[in-house]
Amino acid sequence: MATPAPRAVGADRLNQRPAGKLSSVTVAETILVFVGIPLAVYVLLALLIFLPGGRKRTRYKPGQPWDHAPIWYEPHPENVGAGGHEPAPGAAAVPGSSSAALGSSMYPEQPEERNTDTSRASDAHGAGGHGAHVAPRPVNAGPLGGARGTW
Amino acid sequence: MTRALEAESHDTATTHTAPARTDEIEGSPLDEIFSFQELARLDEALTMSSRETGLRFTLYIGDLGARTRAQAEELHARSGGNPTDSVLIAVSPGQKVVEVVTGAGASRRLPDRACALAVLSMTTSFAAGDLVGGIVNGLRQLSDQAGHPAALRHPH
Repeated sequence: MATPAPRAVGADRLNQRPAGKLSSVTVAETILVFVGIPLAVYVLLALLIFLPGGRKRTRYKPGQPWDHAPIWYEPHPENVGAGGHEPAPGAAAVPGSSSAALGSSMYPEQPEERNTDTSRASDAHGAGGHGAHVAPRPVNAGPLGGARGTW
Repeated sequence: MTRALEAESHDTATTHTAPARTDEIEGSPLDEIFSFQELARLDEALTMSSRETGLRFTLYIGDLGARTRAQAEELHARSGGNPTDSVLIAVSPGQKVVEVVTGAGASRRLPDRACALAVLSMTTSFAAGDLVGGIVNGLRQLSDQAGHPAALRHPH
């Protein structure tokens, strides 16, 4: 009695090749998989990073020349004080330009607050434009101190 | 705690609400030079050191011209408020110069030696490339040196 040949099961039924031989892959397919796919990933990432249209920010980095307009930050006025022991300080101003100091808050000083300051100043000095913000005149602060440093 | 300011403001305005700075300035946004986080750090440092010490700290960042000391002193005289009790920190990153100017009243509480120490700490940070961190640390040193008067401590 002859033993019957074992039946092919599963995917082996479809492969009619001799045993021990793998399916052949061409050189082009190999290059496509092992070189093409990594290259495609790199190119995709590079496009995402370097294509224009993203965040356009030219923030200042130390070491660059400073080509911005001067900025002057001043502290928030203390509005919560109970007693008006001290008048609210006027805004700082750059003498060359007409730019007043930025308080660094999101909401600017309102014209009413500005008007109270200028009216108080004009009362004190006896002269002054109405409505328009004038740069504070230089006040002699006595013998100055301080320090200087370079880097 | 300081947290990041939101760049996109929520539309909670009524007809009486003034426009925010982020709505007004389209050409040059507020965070053109510093990010909102850095602006918040500067803001808190300036405001808290001024409130705790009673001195008025202002911060100028920009060019100081050829005679940096004279320019800084002129800026100090125009810094608003009462210049006798104000302290100006003028940083010129392009010229790599920092000047601290104290008025007559402020210099009694902030001697030149303390200012020089704060300036040294600032320039160390600046040379390492940390502009905002150096300013914040310098303000902290100046504020600690000037002390916190008991009259300014609000009872809670």
